[in-house]
Amino acid sequence: MAEWTECMNFGITIARQASKVILEAFRAKKDVMLKSSPADLVTETDQRVEKMLISRIRERYPTHKFIGEESVAAGEKLELTDSPTWIIDPIDGTVNFVHRFPFVAISIAFAVNKQTEFGIVYSCVEDKMYRAQRGGGAFVNDVPLHTSGQEDITKSLVVTEIGAERDCLALCTMTTNIMNLLAIPIQGIRAVGTAAVDMVLVATGGADAYYHIGMHCWDIAASALIVTEAGGVVLDTDGSEFDMMSRKVIAASSMPVAKRIAQVVRAFPCTRDDEDPARVNNGGHCISSGL
Amino acid sequence: MDDPWMECMDHCIAVTKEAGKMIREALQKDISIMQKSSPVDLVTETDQKVEALIISSIKKKYPTHSFIGEESVAAGAPSILTDSPTWIIDPIDGTTNFVHRFPFVSVSIGFTVNKEIEFGVVYSCIEEKMYTARKGKGAFCNGVPIKVSGQEDITKSMVLTEMGFKSDLQHFRTMMANMESILTIPVHGIRAPGSAAVNMCLVACGAADAYYHIGIHCWDMAGGAAIIREAGGVIMDITGGPFDLMSRRLVTASSKAIAEHIAQKIQPFPCGRDDTED
Repeated sequence: MAEWTECMNFGITIARQASKVILEAFRAKKDVMLKSSPADLVTETDQRVEKMLISRIRERYPTHKFIGEESVAAGEKLELTDSPTWIIDPIDGTVNFVHRFPFVAISIAFAVNKQTEFGIVYSCVEDKMYRAQRGGGAFVNDVPLHTSGQEDITKSLVVTEIGAERDCLALCTMTTNIMNLLAIPIQGIRAVGTAAVDMVLVATGGADAYYHIGMHCWDIAASALIVTEAGGVVLDTDGSEFDMMSRKVIAASSMPVAKRIAQVVRAFPCTRDDEDPARVNNGGHCISSGL
Repeated sequence: MDDPWMECMDHCIAVTKEAGKMIREALQKDISIMQKSSPVDLVTETDQKVEALIISSIKKKYPTHSFIGEESVAAGAPSILTDSPTWIIDPIDGTTNFVHRFPFVSVSIGFTVNKEIEFGVVYSCIEEKMYTARKGKGAFCNGVPIKVSGQEDITKSMVLTEMGFKSDLQHFRTMMANMESILTIPVHGIRAPGSAAVNMCLVACGAADAYYHIGIHCWDMAGGAAIIREAGGVIMDITGGPFDLMSRRLVTASSKAIAEHIAQKIQPFPCGRDDTED
């Protein structure tokens, strides 16, 4: 819809502004805090960038709502209503950011009536601006994107993440999933450390599928639209309809590849992002064994 | 005093740049794929063309030098390392990435004399990052000096490795168990970019703190080994013993403390050697 194009262009502008803060901090020494586990990191830059994005959007669109990773971590309610809502991850790939591993993205999605109208993923170290508007195709630096179209799982390169969970059930499930996929066989498994960039790599055709359990809506809302607008599919890991609050996703070049992955991959239990509005000070980590 | 191998290194950099250009051009076209030892061990015509380009260019200038090249060995050439000046070449490290246009693809060359690595060149050609190191003269990326992170605390480290199918179930399980052992130390994270040579350079420039792998080849490691050492990092066998270029396995890290910690955690599984018949 044309009315959301102006919002998207504004989103792109502020993403570029925010990237300047991120890139300056990328080179500097960083103080690191832990969230839900010793591998779930946050920095002052995450918090500063999110505040900056939200305040600029609020100035321009005072009635719009927000779901932001650091705001939720600080205790704000996570609720997706029908209102125009910006879903923000100020730094997707905080561990990469801390280590200067070159995949760090700002992810901004915009939903109205709970439907994603546009998605922006700015991989700022690479200076690659990925965007898609519903019905308008997907682009990187204004060049159109298409998934690989691969339908044969045995010719597929699959991206996933090792994730921040360190509990037994999550780890065992994660490694079993990888082993079962490699045994199909597929052509390889890759992991670059940010859900948003992993998924847009599927949109570029550089990978044929991505799956993960345990990330959050702010990690995938934008890139899910970018994948579908590039001709790909997104599903839940059990093969059912994609639900951005479920903390599970398969994004693939084609339905046959997505369905094949859904047959193999098992999820470990995860608290939904919209399940506990009064969540306190953690990102809502996944439930471990012993329940 | 003149450096006898500097001229070789300059020639190496020049031919590597040409090879990188050939690879980037091939990425614009259709890529037809052949399989080597298994459905996941891929090779393309570009691998073979690039290796032929490199070897013929070096042979013209240095006719007495020896070669160990991935595609030549696949075609039956020996892979024994002698004292002769020897070029150890992987024309495309990350062939699977190349086939898929996944962004980490490199040309890797290590040069040995008396079995010592004198210099290494790794060209991550999609990113256009040329990593170089001459023994005793430091490591560089596009001419800018690089250094490892210096991280000594394993619980603050980011570790690279690769995961591939193994037909032996025990080896396959051990590979995954190793990854779980490292994760539960805990470390900050594990990444798998898909090219051994690029992984070594990512450790060398401080973007990651360690890389371990069982099952690669000397041509994957020779170039990167020089670069890691000259960037101040360490490289050793996965048992904690000295690095052995023909052993098909390694741990490299920003510090001895991290390398040894990883070596303690990893269980080996048999992977053959490059200098014996499989």
